[in-house]
Amino acid sequence: MSSEIKLAAKKQQKAVFTIGKRKVLRKLLFYTTLGLGALIMIIPFLWMLSTSLKEQGATMTLPPQFIPENITLSNYSQVAESFPIWKFLFNSLFVAVSSTLGQLLLCSMAAYAFSRLHFKGRDTLFLIYLATLMVPLQVTMTPQFILMKYLGWLDTYQGLILPGLFNAFGTFLLRQFFLTTPKSLEEAAFIDGASHFRVFFQIILPLAKPALATLAIFSFMQSWNNFLWPLIIVSNQDLMTLPLGLSNLQGRWATDWNLLMAGVVISVIPILAVYLFAQKYFIKGITLSGIK
Amino acid sequence: MVGDKGWKKWLVICAFLLPNFIGFLFFIGIPILASLGLSFTKWDLLTSPEFIGVENYKAIWHDAEFWAALKNTLLFIILYLPTVLVVALGIAMLLNKKMKGRTFFRAAYFIPVISSWVAVSLIWKWLFNPAYGLVNYFLSWFGINGPDWLQDPNWAMIAIVLTSVWKDTGFVMVLFLAGLQNISETYYEAADIDGATPFKKFLHITIPLLTPTTFFILIISLINSFQVFDQVMIMTEGGPAGSTTVLVQKIYNHAFRYFEMGYASAVSWVLFLIIFIVTLVQNRLQKRWVDYEQ
Amino acid sequence: MKKTGIFAIILLLLIGIVAGCSGESSTGKSKDGVVTLKYFAFSPGEAHEKDLKAMIAAFEKQNPKIKVDYELASFEDYFTKLQTQIAGSNAPDVFELNYENFVSYAAKGALLELDPLIKKDKEFNPDSINKKAYEAFQYDGKQYGMVESFSNVVLFYNKDLFDQAGVEYPSESWTWKEELEAAEKLTNNKGVWGTYAPVQFWEFYKTIAQNGGSIFNEDKTEVTVNSPENVETLTWMMDKMNKYHVTPTEKEMSGQANEDLFKAGKIAMLRTGIWMFDGFKDVPFKWDIALEPGNTQKAHHFFANGLAVSKKTKNAESAWKWAQFMSSSEEAAKIRIDSSWELPAVTDEALVKGYLEKSPPESREVVFKALDSLVVPPVIEEWSKLTDMFGKELDKVKLGQETPENALKNVEKELQTLIKK
Repeated sequence: MSSEIKLAAKKQQKAVFTIGKRKVLRKLLFYTTLGLGALIMIIPFLWMLSTSLKEQGATMTLPPQFIPENITLSNYSQVAESFPIWKFLFNSLFVAVSSTLGQLLLCSMAAYAFSRLHFKGRDTLFLIYLATLMVPLQVTMTPQFILMKYLGWLDTYQGLILPGLFNAFGTFLLRQFFLTTPKSLEEAAFIDGASHFRVFFQIILPLAKPALATLAIFSFMQSWNNFLWPLIIVSNQDLMTLPLGLSNLQGRWATDWNLLMAGVVISVIPILAVYLFAQKYFIKGITLSGIK
Repeated sequence: MVGDKGWKKWLVICAFLLPNFIGFLFFIGIPILASLGLSFTKWDLLTSPEFIGVENYKAIWHDAEFWAALKNTLLFIILYLPTVLVVALGIAMLLNKKMKGRTFFRAAYFIPVISSWVAVSLIWKWLFNPAYGLVNYFLSWFGINGPDWLQDPNWAMIAIVLTSVWKDTGFVMVLFLAGLQNISETYYEAADIDGATPFKKFLHITIPLLTPTTFFILIISLINSFQVFDQVMIMTEGGPAGSTTVLVQKIYNHAFRYFEMGYASAVSWVLFLIIFIVTLVQNRLQKRWVDYEQ
Repeated sequence: MKKTGIFAIILLLLIGIVAGCSGESSTGKSKDGVVTLKYFAFSPGEAHEKDLKAMIAAFEKQNPKIKVDYELASFEDYFTKLQTQIAGSNAPDVFELNYENFVSYAAKGALLELDPLIKKDKEFNPDSINKKAYEAFQYDGKQYGMVESFSNVVLFYNKDLFDQAGVEYPSESWTWKEELEAAEKLTNNKGVWGTYAPVQFWEFYKTIAQNGGSIFNEDKTEVTVNSPENVETLTWMMDKMNKYHVTPTEKEMSGQANEDLFKAGKIAMLRTGIWMFDGFKDVPFKWDIALEPGNTQKAHHFFANGLAVSKKTKNAESAWKWAQFMSSSEEAAKIRIDSSWELPAVTDEALVKGYLEKSPPESREVVFKALDSLVVPPVIEEWSKLTDMFGKELDKVKLGQETPENALKNVEKELQTLIKK
């Protein structure tokens, strides 16, 4: 072998080595970035948990105690004694689940009408729906309140749930999905003499499962998060949802972070448990939908 | 199509649309119109409303606080929107590969999304505590003397933006992931044959094919950011010295603290108008950059 | 087709509004003649809910034909809820109002005039109530509310810290000068601050009164806020933090409540309300109260809560009975005193004696002495706007964005437009 070839082989070896090193380095960078990001996402929750287990004086120390010196559960018992926190939890779940189911049915039906049925003024009406999406809740708050009163729905579950059902977002989302699903299956069904209802329930809905899952998650989270509407129409503590209950906690214990964090933990843990358990569905719901 | 004629057709339409439409009319349509009507009145809820024409709208024009709130809202959007889009897209790109621990990472980024705004705001209010909060403690490791955050008018909005980005990143990321997974592998394979670099592939395949998703995210996020409220209410209540007062909070203050329903309605209609125009412009512009290839 | 649709919507809308405004409320009367009153309150909070229950039980025992259903809200949410309930004609029959909001509710005609009911009621004697407090709930010379309790703000001090620093306890003759001298001696490098008063609107209107200043003239037709005395006062409030360093700044407090710092023995003198007596009961040091030092004169806060009857009530007489019971009955007064839940405004000395004998603090007579120099909040119709605007300007002073002179100039301009409305 000539020396030239030797040199070339050496170069090649070196190149392979650099690529390997580069690959490892890139992988390292890759995981460090992701890991750091994940830490930023998780640390606040760990800090919340840690604070909720501290004694009164231990929250304000420097350096902060990541693991409390004296772990105590007394904050939790104090929160549970002072507020019907389990009742808040039940209300939150009940309201979120009912409004999710309601929205799924109502929105998918309307979306079917907007995407498959043809009638005069359909697109204008849909545009009106869409336009209301941009209207802030505060615009409708007062008139809605008066309506609730007229219906005798203040301090009731239906008052908490029903107005939220008619958010145009769900209709919008499902219509977009229906528009992209192929029509060949239904056309075949129509030729076989199927009615619109059969087509809707037996063909469209099963096909739309991913989009429905998306909407379910959206509306569940929205209802779970909702703060302003319960604040306005609920004054009875037995009907309060978690966000409202939490803000009451803040009103009472403005700077007692150990107590406040105990309340926050109670509000976060159940949904976290549900999420970790059903995580696949949560993310798949959005991932699979292929929003367009 | 079958059965699409005459009264039968309308029966089907009614059956599908009416349950939603009636509720929509009662809980959204009528209240919106009622508030439009209210915006031309003066009403304190106690005495009967008094028609005053466009006086409320004139007053808004001269209301320095309105312009300050608009400025703060826009500042929030300018800081929040690009940050959350870039961060979420970056993480989505990283996670859009077959790799170890992918499920774990995806789950971790999504946890803030499922927590309520009130809970998140409380946690971050505590993290931003100037003396005992973790944020300033971490900064002190790098020799940085952290600011007063929520008590400092120069930093309060940034603190709110950081909290919002933290909470929403997971959500936007999952939407991006959905979009990324819709991009057919064949494009990349073709590019590989041409010997394209990863950066070029990102620039010429990923970005263009992701535009429909990006457009959707942009529309939804922009509308939501104009309505930013919960986190402001819990974290700063608009302070210090009005530096974080946003438009919706201005509406809330006028409606439920000063009990000026008419004025509050008028401001809410101005907000609506702004959002409407911005969305319209976005829709017009979409043809120029959104790539509906599929 | 389109036009009729729009017309129908507008019609529905009008029906909605009219129905909402005039929707009838139930009379609250059941078959057996028992009247149910709806009562809405904020002052019990969580801590005194059980005491309110005890009062209701005592009242229902006296009046078997009346039942009281209560509902509570936190002070922050209370007025939003009350106003929307009244708007939705869901108004409670009787509700609590603090002095500040009483004025605007009375001005807007939401309250029932009580004078005819007072005349009819042979058992009630207005002399059983502290005159000043009773008259605070008059508007245009007519009685629209019944005072149930009052509270004020005094100077709390940590005796142990005074002893350690070898400083004499605050006395009635103290002025700001003596307070500052003591505070400088009490402040030390172990984290103890000499004195504390928040820089916010409520503190401001009282402190300017201690220097002979005011926000409006007597009949609130002119703005007097931008005066040399007031500039001096605001400068003094700021100097305690920034110049003399005897008061912690917000940053130095890092989100801790001043009451908590006092409890932790970190503040030697604290201006706060007598509602803190209960909260300070178990602190591991000796403490007492004194009159607040003034500059040229004494001035003390006066906060009062009262019960008002809704103009829309269907049960005026029962509502009056409940308001009167809460305001002047021995039972209610006794429960209030026993639980340290603000002070009933009754004149019966035997009842007040029970209050004075309780300890801590030893010098409870100070609470009553402070009434001699009370300042009421400078209420105008646009009260919330005034407090928001003031708060914002004072924030700017605290942040160093605005000098006291300029801030008060801004406030003056804003106030002039507010009272012109």
